[in-house]
Amino acid sequence: MIGVYREFEGCMRLMGHVLRRLQVLALPPVTEALTRQIYFTGASATAGMVLRGALLGTLIIAYVIDVLEANSALAVKILIWVVLREIGPLIAAVLVIQRSGTAVATELALMQISGEVTSLRRMRIDPRDYLVVPRVVGVALSTAALTFYVQVIAVGGGMLLSALTIDASLGQLTDEFFLLASPVDFAYSMVKSLLFGVAIAVICCYHGLHPPGVSINAVPKAAINAVTQSTLLVMLLNVIFAYLVFGQAFFGLVTAKV
Amino acid sequence: MSHADPAARSDSASRHSAHARVALGYEPPADRGEGRIWIPMGGSHRIADLTDTQKGRLLSAVLDLKSELGARLVLLGLEVDRLGTAERAALRARVAFLPAGGGLLSNLNAWENIVLPLGFHYPRRLRSVAGQVDDLLKDLGADPHDLLAKLPERMSAYEKKLAGYVRILLESPELVLVEDLRGGLDAAERAGTAGFFPTYQARCPGGTFVQLEGSPEA
Repeated sequence: MIGVYREFEGCMRLMGHVLRRLQVLALPPVTEALTRQIYFTGASATAGMVLRGALLGTLIIAYVIDVLEANSALAVKILIWVVLREIGPLIAAVLVIQRSGTAVATELALMQISGEVTSLRRMRIDPRDYLVVPRVVGVALSTAALTFYVQVIAVGGGMLLSALTIDASLGQLTDEFFLLASPVDFAYSMVKSLLFGVAIAVICCYHGLHPPGVSINAVPKAAINAVTQSTLLVMLLNVIFAYLVFGQAFFGLVTAKV
Repeated sequence: MSHADPAARSDSASRHSAHARVALGYEPPADRGEGRIWIPMGGSHRIADLTDTQKGRLLSAVLDLKSELGARLVLLGLEVDRLGTAERAALRARVAFLPAGGGLLSNLNAWENIVLPLGFHYPRRLRSVAGQVDDLLKDLGADPHDLLAKLPERMSAYEKKLAGYVRILLESPELVLVEDLRGGLDAAERAGTAGFFPTYQARCPGGTFVQLEGSPEA
């Protein structure tokens, strides 16, 4: 229990440091680290994301049409509710954890064990400024961008499949989509995915900088801790968001839009 | 304390002036029975036969500016215990350390490693630094075009030291601590390290160059 509290406190402190020290992003080495992180997490993962997003959208819509004998309105509603608001940010977050979260935790744990973090301190560079700030910002921005790709591809793929399988044209489905979707849906999913990205990066950086040992065996342990905890936190944040935005919140001022 | 004893003040002043020419002074706690280190400013010096523990304590004191209870640290003429946080930070900026392995980051190439601290502490100086790095590497007998694009995994032990050393020189520190300068090098490379101090002296006249060497049994 004390260990859990310490980890939570450590992550919150790291988060506080990132918020306080965002100005270091203007320093050339940190800008370069940020660009690398965005390239690695956001750009080089795009192809895999597009494929998964398209498969996911068509799979969801195929089931909906088959099981519910859906019409075009219901098919589009399901796409907006499920893919746009929930599955898009969630699948992007899970893929970011798989791909970048493990990489960040492993890289930082190796740097810690091999003495490179100490080297940074001896150069009077705060390792949190150079290693954590660009990773947190980079992963957060990349998660939001990947969420957008997934949404576009999954919704597009889903509508294309719907046009082929139900009695509705693609134009009709698109009209329906723009009628039902609101900018709030996009804003909601973007804010959520930014938060997911921040949570993933902070947890992975924390475990990377605090490996459970000084031998090489501590590296996979740090990666496992990072992946497990960031997945749990993303799920928890998703539930909290769903309740706050679509349940009764703010004295009933915000209610679910169904 | 609001009232200072005049005798004590005069003693403190004389001690302070006595330290004015001390680059590195370290007195371990008396109960440990170890000798003190007292190095004057300027020139090249060597502290030999340090055990790993002694070296660790000394480096921790000098680089973190935290001396142990009962120990005393004088750095570049200043009694460290009497300094405030800002003064310590300013003092620390005048000291550099070259670890035995060069202290390079494995995911950056030699050029990125060399300019990393400069990019953090003096970003405006980055624009004019390329020529200086080339000149320093040439002075130290290395080919900049060959070395600068290499990742540490492709560098020899000597090249790692060289890249780490050039990184230090760019900041023109007044005190340089070099750990095990000749360790892990072959005869030709050891001969190459002879150029380290003259290059430093040419860049930082009056600077102090201190080699830390372990004891044979350590």
